[in-house]
Amino acid sequence: MATAVIDIDFEQIPDQLSGLDKYTKALVLVRFRGRPIGQTTMAITDGHICGTQLRERVFNIGARTYWEQYLHDYLAWDPERETGFVLPTTTIAICTRDRPEDLARCLHAISLLPDTGQEVLVIDNCPSTDATRDIVSGRRGVRYVREDRPGLNNARNRALHESSREIVAFVDDDAAPDPGWLLALLHNFEDPLVYCVTGLTMPLELETDAQEMHERWSPFGRGYKRRVFNGVHCNPLAIGQVGAGANMALRHRVVADLGPFDEALDAGTITRSGGDTEMFARILINGLRIVYEPKALCWHRHRRTREELRKMFYGSGVGVYAFLTRALFIQGEFGSPKIAWDWFRYDQFPSLVRSLLGRPSCRPLDLMLEELRGCLAGPWAYRTSRKNSCRVQR
Amino acid sequence: MTVQDRAHRVSVIIPTHNRRESLERTLRALCRQSYPFDLMEVIVVADGCHDDTSELLRAYTGPFRLHGLAQPKQGASTARNYGAATATGSTLIFIDDDVEPAPQLVEAHVSAHRIGRGIVGMGYLPVELAHRTDFLSLLVRSWWADQFQEMGKPSHRFLYRNLFSGNFSLDADLFRQVGGFDPSIPRREDYDLGMRLMKTGATFMFLPNAVGYHHEAADAKGNLTRARQEGRGDILMGFRHTELRPTFNLSRFQERQSLRSGITQALVFQYDALGDAIAALLCRLLVVFERMRLRRLWHRVFQGLRTYWYLRGVKDELKTRRGLIKYLQEGPAHSQPDDVEIDLDLSQGLELAERRLDEERPAGVRIFYKNTVIGHLPPQVGAERLKGAHLRAILASDLSWPLLKILIMEQAREPFDSTFDSSTVCR
Repeated sequence: MATAVIDIDFEQIPDQLSGLDKYTKALVLVRFRGRPIGQTTMAITDGHICGTQLRERVFNIGARTYWEQYLHDYLAWDPERETGFVLPTTTIAICTRDRPEDLARCLHAISLLPDTGQEVLVIDNCPSTDATRDIVSGRRGVRYVREDRPGLNNARNRALHESSREIVAFVDDDAAPDPGWLLALLHNFEDPLVYCVTGLTMPLELETDAQEMHERWSPFGRGYKRRVFNGVHCNPLAIGQVGAGANMALRHRVVADLGPFDEALDAGTITRSGGDTEMFARILINGLRIVYEPKALCWHRHRRTREELRKMFYGSGVGVYAFLTRALFIQGEFGSPKIAWDWFRYDQFPSLVRSLLGRPSCRPLDLMLEELRGCLAGPWAYRTSRKNSCRVQR
Repeated sequence: MTVQDRAHRVSVIIPTHNRRESLERTLRALCRQSYPFDLMEVIVVADGCHDDTSELLRAYTGPFRLHGLAQPKQGASTARNYGAATATGSTLIFIDDDVEPAPQLVEAHVSAHRIGRGIVGMGYLPVELAHRTDFLSLLVRSWWADQFQEMGKPSHRFLYRNLFSGNFSLDADLFRQVGGFDPSIPRREDYDLGMRLMKTGATFMFLPNAVGYHHEAADAKGNLTRARQEGRGDILMGFRHTELRPTFNLSRFQERQSLRSGITQALVFQYDALGDAIAALLCRLLVVFERMRLRRLWHRVFQGLRTYWYLRGVKDELKTRRGLIKYLQEGPAHSQPDDVEIDLDLSQGLELAERRLDEERPAGVRIFYKNTVIGHLPPQVGAERLKGAHLRAILASDLSWPLLKILIMEQAREPFDSTFDSSTVCR
């Protein structure tokens, strides 16, 4: 059975939630004055959620934030607005490939963002039809650019090349940003050493088993606490908690200072993913900073079928190992094998054993095996993909 | 620019030691300043230079007046004092020879001094790495960035340690009044000056537009030598300002807290020849760790070495561990006789409380809401006196819980007399 995704503000808790007949449970995102502060899962009985229970759960999540805000209201104090930071100029870039329906939803969500003078850029990556162009052509203020070299990182590089703004905010075509998304990202660029800000990504829908599994075993969200990853103090290769490329903004200087995205990585190449991870690692290796900002909320439509999900797990295995291979052989990061070992030793192996023994609430075996298969293929995939990309460049 | 403004003459003082190319970059950048060149003089003091710095100064043909002075090697502090003694400007701007001023630097400093007298203007020194990615350079850049980020907040309470001699300005009279830099305090001459300026009640200001790009060339060996000098410098500063002693982070060495700390202390105070040999070996190993990109190990070893050399500097002055303990016990934190504390009642409104702080500038404050105590901020050693801009940040952090309790009680007592706007929890 499916899970309803419900969005509730602390100050406007409904008396009860009903009409949820097709769902057995609900994932409730709790906000405070529009800002995401926590989430909870609740059972649905006979199509509705009891108001008392809901209120209790929401209060437990939001009490601390409420009182903090109460104090800040009294003090008329906003720690983030202390310095009068002038927002940087921005390009919102959507890299897409043959997903016109998703893109239309994404563009609609972007049209609801407050106007900070941002430009919107759609990079149509090696399309097989004109559907994307047709969707974009009807919209004001959206620029269409076609990139014929396949690969998400090629598209990202094209977006960076096309933009002349200070910040380029990337959003996936199957994601829909929340109205507060852009401003929340931009405020974090006050620190000149912050080169990347990632945001909270929540599921747009959990209608199928595959989508529920995606959210359970490989969620994009990284919690509700803002975190600063300083490359000087943290391990730049252990970046599972940094965030995801589906919802990230980069300082445009990143290209001049650290180089473009590695075109041998990510979707559209045989490495399938890892392009964002590699860029995060490169930023941290160079002693710069990445902020995870949960206020920058994006909704993501997860893969709907099990087959797509399997491919995603395989792809993430390939991508991580391709990235670690690059780190070891190109960047000389001797800590790279240890990351792979720790992942296997503390996460993959125990999960695999639990799956094999059929323990309750264990990870589905087929997904585990796909991920491991991907890991084995990763190093070779990177080698091949790098050769291919060098050949194309020549 | 008005006639009065035009009268604001400024002297830029640059001490230098065998860094001809770097100095040339600094001078070239000064030629691009937005401030009128006829109101600006630049004084370069060559401190024991034996490269061709003097030729560079002789050959100079630029838009401002340049005075090239020279002295036998006596250190940057003496050089700065020498430069200041010959300066004719009413404002002095000190810049290091590895700093490349942005075009607005001089103007931004001067603008701050137009506000009033007794201002110490701290410029912004972002580190320029020029594609260097060694661990130490990245560490140094991150440290500097954190310092300026903190100083950039209007609620920041300045400390004597916020004075960085690489890019700052003050009235020439004030500099002379406090006696300039003290050359007898190695590596801590800027902190020492900061402390003396704090005591005179000078107003510290951060000037984000006074940008000087800092081309710091960090190397591990040099940094560790510096750590030793800093250890010495801190001890000497503590002789002059005894109230600072407990703030030096030395008290952790009073007791042997851990095995590691015990070994470090034994090596420093009893077996220093062995300690120096181990330290030299570890310093060489740093290169290997860096080549293998083993960050955590590198950082742990480097921090350990810094602690070792800092303590060696301490030992240079105090000789024995007993000497260190005696030194720390002799210097309790005590407030100065002129440290004023006031009582502040928030129930009259925050604006009023802020205004009182701005008018009275107390060293400490006892905060009340009507008759209930919220908290006490005692005078803080080496910190500027409190001002209005500090209040809300302090209430939002250190005193948040006691204040919140009182506000809730007040709200419960007078539910209809709400002095601020906040939506209610229960619907």
